[in-house]
Amino acid sequence: MRKVITGNVAVAYGAMLSDVQVVAAYPITPQTTIIEELATMQSEGTGDFDYIRVESEHSAMAACIGAAMGGVRTFTATCGQGLFLMHEMLHYAAGARTPVVLANVNRAGAAPWSIWSDQTDSVSQRETGWIQLYCEGNQEVLDTTIMAFKIAEQLRLPVMVVLDAFFLSHTAEPVDIPEKERVRGFLPPFDPGDCWLDPNNPRTFGGITMTDAYMEFRWQIQRDMEKAKTVITQVHNEFAEAFGRNYSQVDEYPAQDAEVVLVVSGTAASTGRDAIDYLRKKGKDVGMVKLKTLRPFPREDLINALRGKKKVAVIDRNFSPGATGVWAQEIRSALYELPDAERPLLYGYIAGLGGRDISVKTIEEIYEKTRQDERPDDVDMWIGVNYV
Amino acid sequence: MKYTDRSVNVPLCAQSLNPGLVNKTGTWKFAEPHFVDQTSPCNQQCPAGEDITGYMYLVGQERFEDAWRLIMEENPFPAVMGRVCFHTCEEQCNRKDYDEAIAIHVVERFIGDYGISKGLTVEPPKDEKGKKIAIVGAGPAGLSAAYQLRRMGYAVTVFDSNAKPGGMMRYGIPSYRLPREILDSEIDRLHHLGIGFSLRVAAGKDISWDSLASEHDAVLVAIGAWDEARLEIEGLDKGGVFNALTFLREVNLGRRPKIGKEVVVVGGGNSAIDCARSSRRLGADVTIAYRRTEAEMPAHPEEVVLAKEEGVQFLFLAAPAKIAGNGRITGLSLEKMALGEEDASGRKRPAPTGEFFEMQCDGMIMAVGEGTRVEDLPVFITHKAGVVEADDMGNTTHQKFFAGGDIIDIPHTVTHAIGSGKRAAIAIDRFLQGEKREQGSLGRFRWGERGNVSLGRINGTMLFPRRNPASEVVALKDMNTFYFDHRSRTNSQRIPPKEGLKGFQEVIASPSKEEAVTEAQRCFICGSCTECGNCYIFCPECAIKSDPGGYGYIADMEYCKGCGICVNECPRGAMRMKFME
Repeated sequence: MRKVITGNVAVAYGAMLSDVQVVAAYPITPQTTIIEELATMQSEGTGDFDYIRVESEHSAMAACIGAAMGGVRTFTATCGQGLFLMHEMLHYAAGARTPVVLANVNRAGAAPWSIWSDQTDSVSQRETGWIQLYCEGNQEVLDTTIMAFKIAEQLRLPVMVVLDAFFLSHTAEPVDIPEKERVRGFLPPFDPGDCWLDPNNPRTFGGITMTDAYMEFRWQIQRDMEKAKTVITQVHNEFAEAFGRNYSQVDEYPAQDAEVVLVVSGTAASTGRDAIDYLRKKGKDVGMVKLKTLRPFPREDLINALRGKKKVAVIDRNFSPGATGVWAQEIRSALYELPDAERPLLYGYIAGLGGRDISVKTIEEIYEKTRQDERPDDVDMWIGVNYV
Repeated sequence: MKYTDRSVNVPLCAQSLNPGLVNKTGTWKFAEPHFVDQTSPCNQQCPAGEDITGYMYLVGQERFEDAWRLIMEENPFPAVMGRVCFHTCEEQCNRKDYDEAIAIHVVERFIGDYGISKGLTVEPPKDEKGKKIAIVGAGPAGLSAAYQLRRMGYAVTVFDSNAKPGGMMRYGIPSYRLPREILDSEIDRLHHLGIGFSLRVAAGKDISWDSLASEHDAVLVAIGAWDEARLEIEGLDKGGVFNALTFLREVNLGRRPKIGKEVVVVGGGNSAIDCARSSRRLGADVTIAYRRTEAEMPAHPEEVVLAKEEGVQFLFLAAPAKIAGNGRITGLSLEKMALGEEDASGRKRPAPTGEFFEMQCDGMIMAVGEGTRVEDLPVFITHKAGVVEADDMGNTTHQKFFAGGDIIDIPHTVTHAIGSGKRAAIAIDRFLQGEKREQGSLGRFRWGERGNVSLGRINGTMLFPRRNPASEVVALKDMNTFYFDHRSRTNSQRIPPKEGLKGFQEVIASPSKEEAVTEAQRCFICGSCTECGNCYIFCPECAIKSDPGGYGYIADMEYCKGCGICVNECPRGAMRMKFME
């Protein structure tokens, strides 16, 4: 079935089609329509799941962890301030190895108050142990939500599906909605194995762990995060086989021979495709790499994509005060592995914070600056700021 | 180093090696939770001993027939009761201190009407006990006792001097409060049970008390209070002057007594209101003259409101002194009264002021109280100040004679009469089975501490199961009202007074199914477990388990560490914490 739906409705369809069993969520703009849609599906019976009303995002995640420990498929959604409030529980969800799926609608943080998009909320959860999957369009949002459950449950690691506020959450596009039976064929029921809260065999989980074992649990998370790179690719392939749509962690949009390569994520990638087409028509030698995963960071694939390029321009719709944009940090760190001769120069740009538009023109400006400047003139460069 | 190459010797998430069951946290405790179904204030209050919270629960689940059968354990007339009972239960309702009391009578009326519309009946007893009982008086007390005794397997004959059974329900209460087809439907069920009726037979005249006693194993006297108090004033013999019961009897027989155009009703009780509203229906302008003020009126406040809506005027602090007229009443002289000291009933006593005034009228009804005609009582039983000496189970000074209804020391209402009839039936049964029959011997079959008894509990009917029923009454402070949202009460719909005054048709409309269910679902079900599951959900030790016996929950004392959270979170006060020895 093909329908014109917003990104938020696509998220709700993704969760419902995945036969989610427990949803616990707290409303927050611009996430609200996700859980409204789910509540409607639940009350009308199109979705057969329990919906837990909670009084905060912290409780929402706590409820999801509890439900996942009870052995069921679990989902929540939030954004911005809500994700910040959830932070403590995000660590717990990963540490307890609960395959919770969370949709985060990227919203800029307060103060000052903003409801518009930037990635600072999700990138500041880098260290929580969550897999993060960024989406470019509403079809990808729906597909990624479904794939997220499969990835999470195979690895027993929580997965965050990330979409831009308003650019996706409240913008409608035509989306293919698969039949539930086909989704069931792709996504088997969640099997918690031996690790769940069984009333007939009550055990303590996550209890105090002494110095002789704590590191081992953390080591396993890192091992499985590394394994996740393979698992995500496998799931992408299985999805392509089942539904005919292809995704990858590192998506190159004619970049192979380009001298300047843009690296983008989220909706900036879809604008980026238009910008690349436009610049190439004008005869410019430019390509683009879209990153879908922040965690695990796809360093091997990225190194392969950027090896031998002259200049790489990273557009960060986020920033880490006192450092640089987060994607630029990650990429700079990955490129360090390359020998000098093969290592491109990295130009870090900060753009589009608090919902400011990243237009084709913005990208053209970034391209031109990267092409003309022999070296970056700062560790990161802020685009479109009205300096006085 | 490749992370994927190596594995470590720990599970994915830290977990205990042994099941947590080895930690018998029960050893920590010094107090234990107990599931105790306590008595709700309404159940304690109901003079008929109905299980109100029980049928509220059942109606809330739309189990209407079960609800009907639950009432029928205690009271054979739910449709009558939902109409004429003054529902003092609602005054006791814990919910009144939360938002508004439950409209219990609305739900009960719905259940009663449901039973009639579905033609529900009660099965005759399976085994006959082979003993005969005479019941004298086919009013609510006599019929209630006959119904319960017949269900127990006794052969029952009801004697009454009237042509039809019903007593005050038929000859006292006007049909706009109690339609006769409703009364007839409920009494008809008693025939189906095999109760014998001997009508137009006055005990002591048409048949002697001696022969009643010799031909039966027990006799219940429930002849009612048909003797009317009379004012000691001049002119009572004039035409157009009626006694309340005589007037109501005429009206209820379908006759239209010539009451006049301007009627004064003297008195402040429910009979006065019945006379006033009936007179309005006969086309008269009506004034109620009462010697105290509205606050002291014994009439039910809802009845007073309805009378006012129907245009009845009230004259307070006025006592009739003299009736004027030649042959027929033309006016009334009244004395102004003032309130003085409180009397034994706690009401302020009216004191004469010596100031008089005149009122024009061409009809007058005296409704100043009624009592038992003691000369109609059998000589075997004793009475004092017009009231038969009996305990609250109906045991009299003669072991074979029992008493119930308006002749004993109880308020003169249909509901009290039904309750007294039931208690007398229990006493008669226990007498004939050679068991103790005073109230104190009934123990856990009682509702609370006010002497009301549940036959359902004696019979062990489990339509609304209760475990460890206790007579302690649960107060609002014993409950956790956090779990109840505020919702407004469903009030009865009335037909407009203008319509009502056109005749004697019923003035309160029947509640719809939705109204009854909505209202029943407001009930807190104080004191009783409804399996809401709060104790189960909140127990931090998972020590609360489903009762393998089938209803409710049990606490596993091996793991209960006595924290008391379950008791605190029980919304309805159906759990108690007890310190251990």
